[in-house]
Amino acid sequence: MSGNRHEKRVARMYFRELIAALVLYTVLLMAAIHFGRPMAPGVLRTAVLLSPMIGFGAAIWAIVRQIQRVDEYVRMRLLENVSLAAAVTAGLTFSYGFLETAGFPKLSMFTVWCVLCLSVGAVQLVRKLIDR
Amino acid sequence: MNNHLRELRAEHGWSQARLAELLDVSRQTVIAIESGRYDPSLPLAFAISRLFQQPIESIFNPDQEPA
Repeated sequence: MSGNRHEKRVARMYFRELIAALVLYTVLLMAAIHFGRPMAPGVLRTAVLLSPMIGFGAAIWAIVRQIQRVDEYVRMRLLENVSLAAAVTAGLTFSYGFLETAGFPKLSMFTVWCVLCLSVGAVQLVRKLIDR
Repeated sequence: MNNHLRELRAEHGWSQARLAELLDVSRQTVIAIESGRYDPSLPLAFAISRLFQQPIESIFNPDQEPA
């Protein structure tokens, strides 16, 4: 792990919390698939199928703690990048909504999450290149 | 905002990583301040001032006088 003591400490705490959240998510997802899918339709099945979001919520909590933990410049850059990526995602998904009307295949809402992740990565990369 | 952080750091013989460690921030932050891309908050500016034992106004100065 590269970086100074501050960066290492911050990264170590973040990865520990994020991995714990992702393990919880994975366990709940496997349980939801195993037990939830065969269940009869109803409120209980819906709740079981939605249960992985508890792990997702824990991941959000880990991310919020990380935003509070990093130093002021890194926090500002991170929030700027996520804001820009959210705008890019909104533009792309909104455009695709029109394309669906034009006959393009319907996509799952899960796609939005993937587009957001890719947008954050792309924005970070472009801004790093601009700063050079 | 202009600053003399790079010169002060050189006088002390510190690397950017060392300065970042002393200020408990990332190296990225030191680089951004030195290059003038980022103006630190008051608490961080005071921490820099304390570390170099110089008043803030001798380390940081505005690009131009306020109107």
